[in-house]
Formats: sequence, structure tokens, C-alpha cells
Amino acid sequence: MADLVHVDRAVARRILGGDEAAFRELFDRFFPRLYRFVLARLGGDPDSAQDIVQQTFCNAIERLDTYRGEAALYTWFCQICRNVLADHFRRKGRGATRVVLLEDQPNARAILESLTAPAADQPERGVWREQVQRIVEATLDSLPGHYGEVLEWKYVDGLSVKEIAGRLDLGMKAAESLLTRARESFRDAIVELVGAREDLSAPIVRQLD
Amino acid sequence: MDKSSDIVESLIRTAGRRADPPEEAYRQVFATASAAFREKTARRRERQWLLGAAAAAALVLAIALMLQWTPPSAQRGELARVERIIGGAEQATGDVWQALGKSRSSLGTGARIRTQADGRVALALSGGESLRLAADTEVMLDAPGRLYVQRGTIYVDSGPRPAASRLEIVTPGGTARDLGTQFELQVAGAALRLRVREGIVAIDRGGRSLTGNAGEQLAFDDLGSVSREAIATDSPAWQWAESIAPTPDMDGKPAAMLISWVARETGRHLRYESPIVEQRAATVILYGNIRHLAPLAALEAMLATTDLECVLQGDTMEIRTRDPIPPEP
Repeated sequence: MADLVHVDRAVARRILGGDEAAFRELFDRFFPRLYRFVLARLGGDPDSAQDIVQQTFCNAIERLDTYRGEAALYTWFCQICRNVLADHFRRKGRGATRVVLLEDQPNARAILESLTAPAADQPERGVWREQVQRIVEATLDSLPGHYGEVLEWKYVDGLSVKEIAGRLDLGMKAAESLLTRARESFRDAIVELVGAREDLSAPIVRQLD
Repeated sequence: MDKSSDIVESLIRTAGRRADPPEEAYRQVFATASAAFREKTARRRERQWLLGAAAAAALVLAIALMLQWTPPSAQRGELARVERIIGGAEQATGDVWQALGKSRSSLGTGARIRTQADGRVALALSGGESLRLAADTEVMLDAPGRLYVQRGTIYVDSGPRPAASRLEIVTPGGTARDLGTQFELQVAGAALRLRVREGIVAIDRGGRSLTGNAGEQLAFDDLGSVSREAIATDSPAWQWAESIAPTPDMDGKPAAMLISWVARETGRHLRYESPIVEQRAATVILYGNIRHLAPLAALEAMLATTDLECVLQGDTMEIRTRDPIPPEP
């Protein structure tokens, strides 16, 4: 990949060249994802989340000419965001609410593998459901392009393939193919997180039914 | 639906819609980030201007030195030469656009060229490729062997060269690598359309690589979907590229050279009526000028002065003699 010029590099170049539309498009794409990324790590403090996302954008724009396209631009923004978060926690010291997420821990895989779904009548079910919800949310946010939106339209809003095609101005076949790729990307991302074993998702699903 | 699709569906359905950030947070962060963006781009423009001024000063010094000593390669740094211009076209090396220089003018690293609604331009790249810009197109010469297409439609004819000298074309929607070929690339935001007339072109997009072969058209929408369909190598769709083709100097050259050039430019297979006719085309010498004539018109004009003629049959161009060639004594 090192010899390939990532598509995001062209986006970064357009922004550096003063292309307002490219900047607006990137902001609209990244802002909600970064906001959720930060909010989850701050334990739901919206004021601090806003400050940190704002600082992330300012830092990223300032350093954008150092972006070389080795990773996706969103991944690069997330890394800057982690640095801003680290500064925030250093400044606040013990007073800050710091949530260490499963996917941020070095042994995330082991933890996820040991995650056993509680029975429906147990009080931990609520907490466990929140964990699943947050992991799914983070996974959707990490998907490229409009994959996250397409999956939500299909499975949360219940849109038909025809309706998705209409919303994106695509043909039926293109929309079907897009949905298939989005599903595959989501599954791959979850599988990567839980350790290359699709069957780990199965207990989660059984509990949800 | 298979098991893994069921799991994906159940997980997403249970998690529900992702929460949107508060509208107020969006507005405030956007205002601050926009200010940072404008400040950054303004500083960059200022720095580029200063660098440009420094480069200009260095150039003046270099020219002064060149008057005393001529370096071994006077063309170093040149990435392209203007071959032909039809209609409106402009160039810029900084932020100031001006009319594109006349034919044979030189373009270096960072040069940007754009065509207006009535404009078309043909450039000869330093690697030997012919690059043609359709109307409403903007490109930047990024480095030797690499150019950036911001928008519009380009046509590349690199000839059947080895892959080592391939051209890389970066666009907002992916990177095209020319593997020895003739092709057209249309860029509209992140959407791409590739039409391959000869050879192979690879498109790298979002970490995936796809190849287009001769006679194929690939359309990539801005969400990543790809559709393929056929396109004839002699389709009228290529005519804009033929109309801006830089015409070679044929004065004093054999007819066979012009015939081969026209066949390639029009995407047609070349066939001679017989080996004797082929030999005849190699020995007939042409005189005159075909500047600014479209390839087929140029061939017709030149062959009119010879005993050869061209007959088009589908995607094949056959060269015949008007009169039977007498057998050699």
C-alpha cells in the first residue's frame, strides 16, 4: 500500500488547496463519528466532548500537510483525537472521568472472548446490552464511505433495497452490491475485534433474540 | 440470507440508530474548524507565494549562470510540452491563472492546466505519453510519471511500452496506473469512468485494485460501486480525443508511418490488401503538411496524392491500391 496514493490523500490535498466543499464534506463525515468516539471515552460528558473534537479538528487541519496517506484519513484523525484526549486527562488529573473502552485495551480480544452474555432476567443484561450497542456503534463509525448509513437504513429504519437505491440515486443492482459490501465490511470489522471467530457473535445474537 | 448476514442484521438492529451529536455542538465546532481551515490555507498560499518568489529569484540567478555555462541537460525539470490547443485553456503555477502558452511551450512540476467549455489541449509528457484534456477539465503535473486530475476528462496514449515506465494518474476517486495503453478517464468528484481502448489500465480505489481491458468501460460511483460494459475501440465516444491529436510531421516520411498513426488514433485494426501493397506503403514518400487535420481527414488528403486508398470496414482500416500494381519485371 505504501506505493499507492490513498484516495484520502487527494482529499487532504484538495483541502490544503483551499477547496471549501472538500472541507465541508470531510467535516460532515467525521464530526458525528469523532463526537461519538470522544463521548464514549469521557463517560458521556458533552461539554468536554465538544472541546476535544474541536481541538482535534484544529490540530488535524494544522498538521494536514504531514498526512501521507499511509492510513485512512479517519484513522489519522482518531490518532490525533487520542492525543488530545490524553492531554485532557493529563490536565484534569484525577478529576477527569476516564472510560477505558474494551477496544482500547491491549487485551481487548481476550476480554471479548470471555464476555458471556447474561440471561434475559439478570440485571447485568442492561449493561451488557449497552456494551454491545457501543461496540456496534464504534464498528459502524469505523466503516468506510457510506457503509454505516446504508446498514442503518436497512436494518434500523427498515428501508427496502429499492428505497436505498432511490436515496443514493443508484440502480437496484448497485444498491444491492453496496449493501453486500457494507455487510461484509461490518462483519470483517467485528470479527477482527473479537478475534477472527464469527461464532463469538452468535452468543450475543442469541441473547438479543 | 446466510448466518453471518443474520448476525450482522441482529447486532445492528439491536444497537439501534447511532446518536447524532447536538446541533449546537456541530455549529460551534464547525465555525472554529472553518476558521482554522481558512487560516491554514491562507498561510499556505502566502508561503507558496514566498517560495515562488524565492524560486523566481533562483531562476534569475540560474539563467545568469547559464549565460556563462550551459548545463548538460537544459530540459531537466520539464514534465510536459504543449502540443496543441483548441479553444480556451489556461495554466497556473501558483494561484494566478493565465492563458496557456503557445504550442511547444514547456510545463514543469506543479503546473496546473484547465480547459474551458470550448477548450481542448494536447500535451506531450516527458515520459513520451500523449495526454489530452477534454473541455472543462483540470489537471496538475505532480511529478515525473504522475499527474493529478481534479475534474473532467482526459485521454492518454502511452503506446505499447513496458510497465516499468507506467504513468500514474491520481484523482479524488482513485488512482489509475497505465500499463501500456490508450484510455480515457473521466473524473467527477469521487466518481470515475474509465474507458480502455487498448492495453490494460489498473484502478486503485480505497485499497482495492481493479483492471480494465481494451474495449471495456468501468464506471465507479462515489460510493464504491463498479459497473462494467463494452465500448468499441472505434466508437464515436473517442472522437474528441482524435480531434485534438497532435499531428506528426509527415513531410518526407513514408505513407506507412501515417497509415499506422491514423489506425492507432482511430482505434482501428490495420490491414493491407496484400504484402505488395504493404511494401508499396513503406516506399511511397509523402510531401506536405497535415497540421490540424483530424486523423482520417489527414490520411485521405495525403493518400489522394498517391496510388493508395483507405477503405473502412467496421473496426478495420484496409489499405488498397487504386490501380492494380504491375508485377515486378
